[in-house]
Amino acid sequence: MKVSLRWLEDYIDLPTRDPEDIRVALASLGHEVEGVERLEADWTGVVVARVLTVDPHPDADKVRVCTVTTGGDPIRVICGAWNFEADAVVAFAQPGAVLPGGFEIGVRTIRGVESNGMICSERELLLGDDHAGILVLEPDAPVGAAFSDYVELPDVVFDLSITPNRPDAMSMVGIARDLGAYYGVAMRPPVPQPVTTPGAPSTRITIEDAGGCFRFTARELDGVAIGPSPLWMRRRLRVAGMRPISNAVDVTNYVMLELGHPLHAFDADRVAGDALVVRRAHDGETLVTLDGVERSLVTEDLVICDADGPTSLAGTMGGADSEVGNDSRRILLEAASWHPPTIMWMSRRHNLRSEASARFERGVDRELPLLASARAAELLLETGGGTLLDHAIDVVAVPFERPRIELSRYEVTRTLGPGLPPEHVAGLLRSIGLDVEGDDPLIVTIPGFRPDLERPIDLIEEVARLHGYGEFPDSVPTGFGGGWTPEQRRARTLRAAFVGAGLDQAVHLSFIGKADLDAFGYPGEHPARSVVVVKNPLREEESMLRTTLLPSLLASARYNLSHGADSVGLFEVGKVFFARPDATDPRIPDQPDRVGFVLVGGFGDRSLADPPRPVDFHTGSAVWRTVARRLGLHFELEPAGHPGFHPGRTADVVVTGSDQTRHVVGVIGEIHPRTAAAYELPGRVVAGELDLDRLLAPVPLTQLSTPSTFPPVEFDLAFLVEPSVPADALLDATTEAAAGLVERAFVFDEYVGLEAGRRSLAIRYVLRAADRTLTNEEVAPVRGRMVQAAEAMGAELRGKA
Amino acid sequence: MDQLDTLVSTARERIADTADLTALDALDSELLGKRSLISELQRGMASLPADQKPAMGRALQAARGAVVELIASRRADLERLAADALLAGDRLDVTLEAYAIPSGVFHLIQQTIDEVCEIFIGLGYVVAEGPEAELGWYNFDALNTPPTHPARAESDTMYLDGGRLDFGDPADEMLLRTQTSPMQARWMERHRPPVHVVVPGKVYRTDTIDASHLPVFHQIEGLAVDDSITFSDLKGTLAHFAREFFGPRTTVRFRPHFFPFTEPSAELDVSCFACDGGEAGCRVCGGAGWLEMLGCGMVDPNVFLAVGYDPAEVTGFAFGMGVERLAMVRHDIHNIRHFIENDIRFLRQFA
Repeated sequence: MKVSLRWLEDYIDLPTRDPEDIRVALASLGHEVEGVERLEADWTGVVVARVLTVDPHPDADKVRVCTVTTGGDPIRVICGAWNFEADAVVAFAQPGAVLPGGFEIGVRTIRGVESNGMICSERELLLGDDHAGILVLEPDAPVGAAFSDYVELPDVVFDLSITPNRPDAMSMVGIARDLGAYYGVAMRPPVPQPVTTPGAPSTRITIEDAGGCFRFTARELDGVAIGPSPLWMRRRLRVAGMRPISNAVDVTNYVMLELGHPLHAFDADRVAGDALVVRRAHDGETLVTLDGVERSLVTEDLVICDADGPTSLAGTMGGADSEVGNDSRRILLEAASWHPPTIMWMSRRHNLRSEASARFERGVDRELPLLASARAAELLLETGGGTLLDHAIDVVAVPFERPRIELSRYEVTRTLGPGLPPEHVAGLLRSIGLDVEGDDPLIVTIPGFRPDLERPIDLIEEVARLHGYGEFPDSVPTGFGGGWTPEQRRARTLRAAFVGAGLDQAVHLSFIGKADLDAFGYPGEHPARSVVVVKNPLREEESMLRTTLLPSLLASARYNLSHGADSVGLFEVGKVFFARPDATDPRIPDQPDRVGFVLVGGFGDRSLADPPRPVDFHTGSAVWRTVARRLGLHFELEPAGHPGFHPGRTADVVVTGSDQTRHVVGVIGEIHPRTAAAYELPGRVVAGELDLDRLLAPVPLTQLSTPSTFPPVEFDLAFLVEPSVPADALLDATTEAAAGLVERAFVFDEYVGLEAGRRSLAIRYVLRAADRTLTNEEVAPVRGRMVQAAEAMGAELRGKA
Repeated sequence: MDQLDTLVSTARERIADTADLTALDALDSELLGKRSLISELQRGMASLPADQKPAMGRALQAARGAVVELIASRRADLERLAADALLAGDRLDVTLEAYAIPSGVFHLIQQTIDEVCEIFIGLGYVVAEGPEAELGWYNFDALNTPPTHPARAESDTMYLDGGRLDFGDPADEMLLRTQTSPMQARWMERHRPPVHVVVPGKVYRTDTIDASHLPVFHQIEGLAVDDSITFSDLKGTLAHFAREFFGPRTTVRFRPHFFPFTEPSAELDVSCFACDGGEAGCRVCGGAGWLEMLGCGMVDPNVFLAVGYDPAEVTGFAFGMGVERLAMVRHDIHNIRHFIENDIRFLRQFA
């Protein structure tokens, strides 16, 4: 909503003209000012003048010799335009005037006759496109006045963002009402007093759909001369962002901007038959609207029909058939009250957002139609002449009754607190034109211009707004026992562990596309194919909710490699989505939280001593071990096959819960070279993805195992094992055989390719007893049992012979 | 006896003059060894008269002790000097990065969420997260947003297949939450007042990616409900938040606004932390002096009704802020795309 200060001042005497003061006032009232434009005249030295005489040029055919007055002696000026005669009031650029573009007006001699200035066209003053003739002003324009003043320049235009609950503020009068309340000054709404002629319109109106049309009113004018609107009206329309069309159309737009009530002007002679019917459209009906578009109508559309069918989309846009044209004489000014949602859906359906529909869908004053059309008729009579019939059509399908709201002092204080003295409430409500009676509760009667006020809370908002939000004191209530939940604390620990392990946290959109599922090669029945589909995606490749975090992570790894990184480690914590019911709310899709990570290139930053180690499976499992240690998790890695992962370098992560149950919580592995290639990733790519719920479940509190004060015994054993024997199993079996004496055991050497696919695993054992010093005599049989345990799984002790 | 005094004082000078441990060792054997004067005199004791023996013995013992001590002291000095000389040559370039211990960073969004949450935790709030694929009921209806509301159009909201009724009651439609506010309703359904909760998380809009829009971004929602929560509480709480987050000099301004689920509603502006309000051409606020920060208001009675609270018994306030916006304002970020590109050159600036 663009509000011209000059225009606004028709309705209110503001105590300030400082745009910043007014901007602050408007913002405080809830009307955000998105822009303030200062309009200045693009000229100097142009005054309003009256043409006294017009005579032929003695020596030229295309120009005439005129005299004009600006209040004093006649001034001779040559003019090439022919659209005026003596007595016309014009914009006259005096010698010394400067027109737009720095064009200076002087005294010239044209074919022997001196010309002292110039009579201006619209285009020369940048006021419009018209340059067919000079600009002829209204006969009552004040001769001698500065022309800039006549066209209300300079001016300030506020571009307001009107919130959807305030349809009344989509008008000059509504804004004036609010500012009047803010500044404590009265406003002057226009009081139309058009001259009328006895008579009643011949058109009959029927409302067949009271659900869509509450009231239909119309006024009829006859003998109207269609032509351009006066300059001041055209300027105001342009400043408000509307294009002047003709006086009959312009008055409807002008009154809409002034009062907030949209109107429609029919050419009464182009309405087929003598009756208009308001009804829902029939399937198959069409209507060509004013914008020249043929609209196919549906049964939810609300239309105004004449004998030929639909002739106007109710409250949205008129039809081309009954459009006012240059030859129109008889004008029917429609002002109706429409059902807001009907208008909203219709304008949406037809993708037709008009100034009228924008207002009707929010709610227009149902008490205003006849006043609005009277105002429009008054303005049209002034510029187009003709006569207005004194009887108006007024068909009421649903009468409007002013709502009454009870507002207790307690309610006001309960919501707003102590900042607003209750005795101020009635005055604040009256300041915006509400009727207030009673004391406690106040009985507030709501006029039609505030359809948004329906409940006590609506009035509480009004008084808070009018009192000024800044006037309320600050207080800070607190809850008790706030903080992170145990799961949230563990999630923070998990994220910190990944960061501590050297990975950077990533954030992605939550979408994947079919190409991602195909790149991973998920078979049809795989859970990752159980996608939730977005009905209105922005792009095809983002048309599904992700069932895995990995595609986005791989893409981001690729992005970084493309931008020069040689080592990338990223992790993300976020939701994945499956087309199956959520466990806690079966109405929505399952959407568990996961953590995913990817490593490509080397691990860690390049430095002098440590060139980054190229990543492989072990890098990924090392990252996971770090995280698991921070979370106090016991887990095993078990060889596994997963779509999109390397068949021999991938493991399930199996976590043993406090109840000793084993759960596969995720996968860590190298990405299959074909999948990696789909994301244009070179070399080995390591990734992992794990469900968070098991990882974040509470773990038992650690109970201290007191460190032994006795010395350890250390020895190494090297075994030859079959490829099928994992190191973990060998460590577990030998450790178990030592009956609690093994404090630590780890593989310190692996050698593959000795013989027949077997590999050598060299293990360092550290044995220690809690209560004594271990002797060689005691350790020797233990060592023997450990070797036996290994041999039981097919391992052969090296160097035994 | 004089001979011994001379010996000790001569030894003191010579010991002090030794340049290194080799010289000191040589002097040690010269002064105290078998051929030294002291040793000779000790050997000569036997020929002394008995009455002179004790005095001579004490004097010799004292002289030997003094020399031993002098040598030991000088030895300690020379050893320390030798060690110092060694260390003086043991130098390296301290500016070299020889090793790299891996360390990553939290995403700036995470950092911002954590910081905001912790401010409210300080006020006794709990942190809750909610579903992102959500029912129309929680995202809209329960929040007093009727089916006619423009935000429910497909041009604003992403809808999902698999709602209970694809074209039935809009409340049953499945969508991607457009705000973190639906968790307000879910939380109140499961908890009796008093409520003090903040909800961080992802939200979704049908917005094409450009410098200031993402289809997926983050919000933090706040909700406080009790039997006597007032508009003043809303103001005070958010003013406190603004001071904690933007600095103690921060002032706030509340402007009336409209949201379907709060009434009265407000937008919160904070004074620009970069210029303290009103420096022409400020890179952060552009000279306006204020930064639009979040939307807030008193919980609409219809929201309480929707979740089974009695609006005659409780009042509350709610607020919602955009995490990306908070981060962009504070860190001079002008392109929101940075947040989803995951360029480590971006991520690692915010450690």
